[in-house]
Amino acid sequence: MKPLEKYNPAVLFIYFLLLASLVMFAANPVMTMIAFVAMNSAAVVYAGNGLGRAYIFYAVIFVLTSLANPVFSHNGVTVLLVVNDNPITLEAVLYGVMTGFTILSVLLLFRVFSTLMTSDRLLYIFGRAFPKLGLLLSMTLRFVPLFGRQRRKIENTQKTLGLYKNENAIDTIKGKLSILSAMTTWGLENGIVTADSMSARGYGIKRSRTSFSMYRFERSDAFMLCAVLLSCGFIFLGIAIDKLKTDFYPRIELSEVSAYALISYVLYALIAFFPFVAKLAEREAQKKLFKESCDNSVNRERIEKRDSV
Amino acid sequence: MPVINNPTVRKILRIIIPFLVVPAAVLVGAYVFEDKMYAYVSLVITILAIVLFISGFEKRRTGSRRMVIVVVMTVIAVIGRFVPIIKPVAAITVISGVFLGGESGFLVGSMTSVVSNFFWGQGPWTPFQMFSWGMIGLVAGLIGKYLKTSKPVLYIYGAFSGLLFSLIMDVWTVLWYNDGFSWDGYLAAIASAAPMTILYAFSNVIFLIILFDPIGKKLERIRTVYGL
Amino acid sequence: MEILRTENLNFIYPDGRQALSDISFSLEEGEMMCVCGPTGSGKSTLLRLLKRELSPRGEKSGDIFISGRKQEELSDFEAATRIGFVFQRPDMQIVTDKVWHELAFGLENIGIKQNEIRRRVCEIAGYFGMESWFDRSTDSLSGGQKQLLNLASVMVMQPDILILDEPVSQLDPITASDFIATLTKLCREFGISIIAAEQRLGELIPVSDRILAIKDGKTVAFGETRDCVRTLIKDEAFAVSMPASVKLYEKIMSASGKENPKETDNASHEEKTIKTDSATLKEEPINTDRATLAEEPVRTGITHSKEDHKGGDIPLSVGEGRRFLKEYLKSPESDPRILSEVSGSEDTRTLHEDDKENAAEKQAVSRVEANKENAAEKQADRDKKDSRRKDIETVLEFKEVYLKYERNGRDILRACGFKVGKGEVFCILGGNGAGKSTAISAAAGLIKPYSGKIRVFGKNIGDYKGQELYNECVAMLPQDVQTVFITDEINGRHPYDLSGGEQQLAALDIVLASKPKLLLLDEPTKGLDAVLGEELKKKLKKLAADGVTIVIVSHDIEFSASIADRCAMLFNGEVVSVGEARDFFKGNYFYTTAYNRIMRGMQAEK
Repeated sequence: MKPLEKYNPAVLFIYFLLLASLVMFAANPVMTMIAFVAMNSAAVVYAGNGLGRAYIFYAVIFVLTSLANPVFSHNGVTVLLVVNDNPITLEAVLYGVMTGFTILSVLLLFRVFSTLMTSDRLLYIFGRAFPKLGLLLSMTLRFVPLFGRQRRKIENTQKTLGLYKNENAIDTIKGKLSILSAMTTWGLENGIVTADSMSARGYGIKRSRTSFSMYRFERSDAFMLCAVLLSCGFIFLGIAIDKLKTDFYPRIELSEVSAYALISYVLYALIAFFPFVAKLAEREAQKKLFKESCDNSVNRERIEKRDSV
Repeated sequence: MPVINNPTVRKILRIIIPFLVVPAAVLVGAYVFEDKMYAYVSLVITILAIVLFISGFEKRRTGSRRMVIVVVMTVIAVIGRFVPIIKPVAAITVISGVFLGGESGFLVGSMTSVVSNFFWGQGPWTPFQMFSWGMIGLVAGLIGKYLKTSKPVLYIYGAFSGLLFSLIMDVWTVLWYNDGFSWDGYLAAIASAAPMTILYAFSNVIFLIILFDPIGKKLERIRTVYGL
Repeated sequence: MEILRTENLNFIYPDGRQALSDISFSLEEGEMMCVCGPTGSGKSTLLRLLKRELSPRGEKSGDIFISGRKQEELSDFEAATRIGFVFQRPDMQIVTDKVWHELAFGLENIGIKQNEIRRRVCEIAGYFGMESWFDRSTDSLSGGQKQLLNLASVMVMQPDILILDEPVSQLDPITASDFIATLTKLCREFGISIIAAEQRLGELIPVSDRILAIKDGKTVAFGETRDCVRTLIKDEAFAVSMPASVKLYEKIMSASGKENPKETDNASHEEKTIKTDSATLKEEPINTDRATLAEEPVRTGITHSKEDHKGGDIPLSVGEGRRFLKEYLKSPESDPRILSEVSGSEDTRTLHEDDKENAAEKQAVSRVEANKENAAEKQADRDKKDSRRKDIETVLEFKEVYLKYERNGRDILRACGFKVGKGEVFCILGGNGAGKSTAISAAAGLIKPYSGKIRVFGKNIGDYKGQELYNECVAMLPQDVQTVFITDEINGRHPYDLSGGEQQLAALDIVLASKPKLLLLDEPTKGLDAVLGEELKKKLKKLAADGVTIVIVSHDIEFSASIADRCAMLFNGEVVSVGEARDFFKGNYFYTTAYNRIMRGMQAEK
């Protein structure tokens, strides 16, 4: 199985876009839970760094969204309790909980999306349609680290020149702002070299520039794209013709268990778990490769030993 | 690998797509996702607005020097976003709009959003943020004459733009966390975000007081040195 | 075939300043031309005029012909692709964030199709050996790699003419000579015509075919390299930046009173140039067989001129310098005293004059005096100095300093230790990544070692509170002097309106405003021309005479040799050798001045 990172960025982008809209809009408890589990596992393997801390934030969001619904929405027939003449209903609570899960899934999905959609992938997608904007983006991405380094340099130099004279907050803020100002001057004045370097290489002689990228569109990309489009289309159709609909108000009515629904769930699970499975497969393949290379070196050692004997 | 090689067909498609596909997408989306229709529609419309603006930018010629200036201002704003709590992003966008024109202002604002979100995380909020910051820069460019001559007007606009940003982003919050738009929810969101909104408006004014003249002077100088 | 020619090129800036007057020169296909001249001579203006897109605003008269066609007649496409331009600062001319994208940038601009771009980009990356960093972001490259990328991303446009405006002035010497070797290869193997301007000519002159020397916008000399060098070495403004072998030749020739063949050459200068050209043409069948040309390291031009002036051929490189010196010492009229006199002063005349003028500079004078005494006296003097040093107060001391930037990273400084006494000029030399800048930042209290001690005026650097360390105590001139400018005005001028060298001196003034007793300088000569280098040297010597301790980290061996009392060699974060400047450079084999490289082992022969 090809690792997710190796697919054409456009395919990846469409995949995430469709999956995100399914997760966001398919108001169906089964699908919500599938998405929630799938996105958690994907986030762990793709964006594990700092995930623990993020979960604290996610928990807060979950509680807030689950609580917000029963507070604002008083629909539903099963009244649990009455606060200030406002009924709190079971339906509203459950709907709130489902919304909470949905939002967490989407947040986790975008967490994975952010780690996979690196700048050069995004540039590839939008550079085609908007080559000038793509160039602007690429230049900015080139300048951000350059400026960051310059900021540290200026800060160091100015420290020796007595910029932060008094170690209080106002002096610090003043210092930071004058560094920001010095950096603006530095960037604008030296930017002329960048601009000249662009002109020297023919920037602006053609109204439309081409946009080059190292990414290719391969057979596996086409296959993946078709698979994603077809299965998402199938599920969308299901939502549109009410095959997957779950009503919460006035009372909870799950969609009928039909062949269409079951197929949809299976397809949905396949799509949603795809990143996780692809990662596992990749790791497995790497392990195998590592083992083989170890075996090889052991064999080589054996051969060498035998030869030396 | 261009999918369609015929340039005329491509040209026709380019014109047709925004006029057919986008409204179609809105309609289909509205039909399919009854409940979440507003969130979906608002997202599509925001993206459409940005796309329309960018298409205009793509058609015009932009000299290399202007490109570099826009990039420098964007980078300054992106680095500004790393300042804790109070962020000079909107102030720098306003300054860019006033001294470089509305288009550049829009670009600085929206690019700052995209680029800084590579560090802060991309998501469905990115287009809204692009749009809000972009508009702050665009409007600053349109009324730049007044902002340049009158400091009170400038500060009022600064405060207002902070407010505007929060109001737009709150719409998104409501659509996003609830199903459909409700005034109750919106007011609640505004109320809960009020301290941040006030801080935001206030810091915009402060940053404009400190940064407007010095950075403006630098931009004016560069315009003469570069010959823009 | 002539590829580039200017006829009476004049240029006046909008402010009325005449930048160029009547510049006429021509360049043959596949030749390398070196444009030299002091700062502000109009070099950059000339180079920019040659590239249409970069022509400065102002009034231009005269013509530029590219392959016989007027510059104005070229289409946008031709103008962009046929002439490539590389700038001085490696960092600022990179436009995009990824190496492959930077290579493709020019091709995107001229609307080349995807597949063609892919082919060309990969080809060029292969040629320049960039595969291993092809996917990296441009920001992660070293200075040398960045400049190589700049060259490659111009070469990918397949130009016939390559113009370079001080391409190696921001690089360290080893990277710089690699870069020039690459240029030479492009010129010899692909027949690219190259025009390069540079301040320091030691590397460039030996490989160039022609020289165009300009001063105040006027041509001083133009023609075959050796002929021009002969003229330029007589000119104060150019002599300082000539290669060491040329200076040595001149010194020996004038000291021995031998008639320089220059006089006769000069008269028939123009004629000779043309003669050389036609001779070159005959001997170099440019379009017939490039492969054989490439394999032939000795250029026909050189052999030709060697035959021309027998015995008095001016040496351009260290190797030629050694050959010349050996032959001179063998010849009956040679005078061994000249050798000791020349070897005593690694420097130019100007320095000696300065020394005599400033009687206050006791140390420097004593050094010059020592040159004239015999070896035994020298030794005695040194002993005396050594004993004196023991009494001198230690200003800066590193004691087994270990430093690294990341917790799990490698040590940048390891067991780094040295002492600097009051009033001393102490140079720390070393290659790229040896830890020089780190050492000086640590001395300025900007980074803290995780082990070991740094003492400033006998006090631990960590014990200085707040601004105490920087208040009339320690000051640092950083490598990037633009970081010093925090206001937009210095003496009524915008700091960025100053030239690179002026910025350097202005920054030094700002740094000195706090009246430091210990001055730290990080690569102070980077991008400085020889004349301003002399000015800086003068300033620093004055400060040292006033009792300011100066610590310099530098790549610039020649500069360090001429100013340091003591030198240290830093390798891999460790001080591997320390010594009196003269002994230090005499002892080194590779890491020493061009003079010492020429002189090595010469004394023993006679």
